[in-house]
Amino acid sequence: MRIQKKMTGFLVLLVFFFSFMGSLVPSAHAAEANKTYVIGTDTTFAPFEYQDANGDFVGIDMDLINAIAEDQGFKVEIKSLGFNAALQALQSGNVDGVIAGMSITDERKQTFDFSDPYFEAGPMMGVAADNDTIKSYEDLRGKRVAVKVGTEGATFADSIKDKYGFTLATFDDSSQLVDEVKAGGSVALFEDYPVLAYGIQQGNGIKTVTNKEKGGSYGFAVNKGQNPELMRMFNQGLANLKNSGKYDAIIAQYLGSVDAASGADIGGEAAAKKSRLGLIWESMPAFMTGLGYTMFYTIVSLFFAFLLGLLFGSMKVSHNKFLRGIATVFVDVFRGIPLLILAFFIYFAIPQAFGFKMEVWMASILALALNAGAYVTEIIRGGIQSIDKGQMEAARSLGVPYGNTMRKIILPQAIKVMVPSFINQMVITLKDTSILSIIGLVELAQSGKLVIARTYQTFDVYLTIAIMYLIVITILTKIADRLERRIGRG
Amino acid sequence: MDKIKVTGLKKSYGSNEVLKGIDMEIGEGEVVCVIGPSGSGKSTLLRCLNLLEEISAGKVVVDDYDLSDKNSDINKIRENIGMVFQHFNLFPHMSVLKNITFAPVELKKMTPAEAEKQALALLERVGLSDKADAYPASLSGGQKQRVAIARALAMNPDVMLFDEPTSALDPEMVGEVLGVMQDLAREGMTMVIVTHEMGFAREVGHRVIFMDGGYIVEEGTPEEVFGSPKHERTISFLEKVL
Repeated sequence: MRIQKKMTGFLVLLVFFFSFMGSLVPSAHAAEANKTYVIGTDTTFAPFEYQDANGDFVGIDMDLINAIAEDQGFKVEIKSLGFNAALQALQSGNVDGVIAGMSITDERKQTFDFSDPYFEAGPMMGVAADNDTIKSYEDLRGKRVAVKVGTEGATFADSIKDKYGFTLATFDDSSQLVDEVKAGGSVALFEDYPVLAYGIQQGNGIKTVTNKEKGGSYGFAVNKGQNPELMRMFNQGLANLKNSGKYDAIIAQYLGSVDAASGADIGGEAAAKKSRLGLIWESMPAFMTGLGYTMFYTIVSLFFAFLLGLLFGSMKVSHNKFLRGIATVFVDVFRGIPLLILAFFIYFAIPQAFGFKMEVWMASILALALNAGAYVTEIIRGGIQSIDKGQMEAARSLGVPYGNTMRKIILPQAIKVMVPSFINQMVITLKDTSILSIIGLVELAQSGKLVIARTYQTFDVYLTIAIMYLIVITILTKIADRLERRIGRG
Repeated sequence: MDKIKVTGLKKSYGSNEVLKGIDMEIGEGEVVCVIGPSGSGKSTLLRCLNLLEEISAGKVVVDDYDLSDKNSDINKIRENIGMVFQHFNLFPHMSVLKNITFAPVELKKMTPAEAEKQALALLERVGLSDKADAYPASLSGGQKQRVAIARALAMNPDVMLFDEPTSALDPEMVGEVLGVMQDLAREGMTMVIVTHEMGFAREVGHRVIFMDGGYIVEEGTPEEVFGSPKHERTISFLEKVL
């Protein structure tokens, strides 16, 4: 009995000792000078974070976190993940903190710890610069108003729309709101104040006529109960910046006037407008990088699609009912799901359901490869079945096994039949990469969106991007034609 | 010793029975011509002899290998049974020489050099020495079929199956193909020939089998079958074709 008690006591002591040691380790770690924290952020949410002409991430959030890090003596590594992905990464511990123009809400407080507010946002109305009829909410009666999905602006507009008798048109993108209003589809837009102010400063052709509404404030977030050291340093650093005037300088750099309350003044001194050609020229490096990624993702996805197609294509022409069934299901499923939904499913749904993190590039390649793989399967099946079955019989009658016959007799002939369809699929996949910009994949279309988010030059940018796609696809098709003729002759 | 022995062979496609019980023996060096109206099952019977068609019931033994046994190595058996098709089925992406050397090299029966030497000898035998580097598309039908025969012979088979080898040929080319086959018969090759060439069957065949409706209706020497057919259906068929 006594011995047993002693043993138990010893064990308890041991457990305490190790848990104590365990708790010591991270705090000892955190105290280390110049520790590097990984900070997640959105891909583009001007003026808080966006890529400048050099492809560097800038914006209020970026400048703030860097200034705070410098003030407090730690280092940051910025990961541009997209808003939802950044929050997921924070929960799974892949990043230490998130700064992404995130409103502090009670819901989010359940999951995250927030810093002191570093920015007072709130919705604000904007109208076209040449519009003299809309001067207050009263003037909106019977008109249409544009909002961006999920913003405070949308919530606010929804709350007053019955009172003032207007209807809402909902969009996904800030630049779409601006275009909608400039094109006259809607008479006004409701947007979060900083986004609106930044756009006006960029000379997007919008002006404000009313004051900013009271709204939420933005905070820096860490996972609940974790990284208290980082949170303490952020709050301390923020206070220091506000005292030193550095905070105001950063805000002014992006929003022009700091005096948000008198919103009507903002954007009074719009940045000197660059020439249209100059803007495109300046954005060209970003576009070329985007184009490079587009080509890269196209090639990699097609490579895997080809492997998938070869596997399932051979299964589809096999005599085994079971294998044929599997291949048919593969084709039906991935040909039947729109690429957009497939991308959402792979990037958002599956990682959330199974609690792991998926990189954007990986999700994109998977989605493209599975989608194209279904089509390539059908191309390969069709190609193989287009070859006279006498070819198979002739080789088999000589004693050549099925696999060898497939490789040496059927496929070399079938490939000639398949080449035009492959070229077609290549063009489709290259264009389809642009769909993946919706989950934040950096490629040509996304590069364009990023530039538009910064400059609001919708027409010029999309025209340039469209021409770039056109040129690349035309060149590739010409090369493929030449290749096809050479194969055809051989 | 029988080279080929077929007992109670049946073949159906779904509910459609094409062969309704075939018994047949073919001795070594024998040349058997199978005749009959279209749809009588003669091509199907031939294709059962190297298992291009699966056997529904019964037994097919070639060279002591039981084809109906699921465990027998069909590729091994096929190496020993050459087949010539109505539509030649040459490999269009390979030269004539490559068509002939493909199987022996692929199955590691010969080195490429040996196979080439043999192929040239075979081409000489079928009278196409000058076509070694040509591609099938540039050959006439008769030339194609002679290449196809050379290709089948390249595996040094003991048995040769011919499935209407002259049916797709222009009349003036039939002779050159039949000539090659006649030489082959003279050299003692065991041959089963599904044919509409009654003259050839009478002249070259050791035995003639008349099929109708999935049965062997009558068989015998060419003199017996063509000279004094016993069965009514044989008589009416021969009346139509001769």
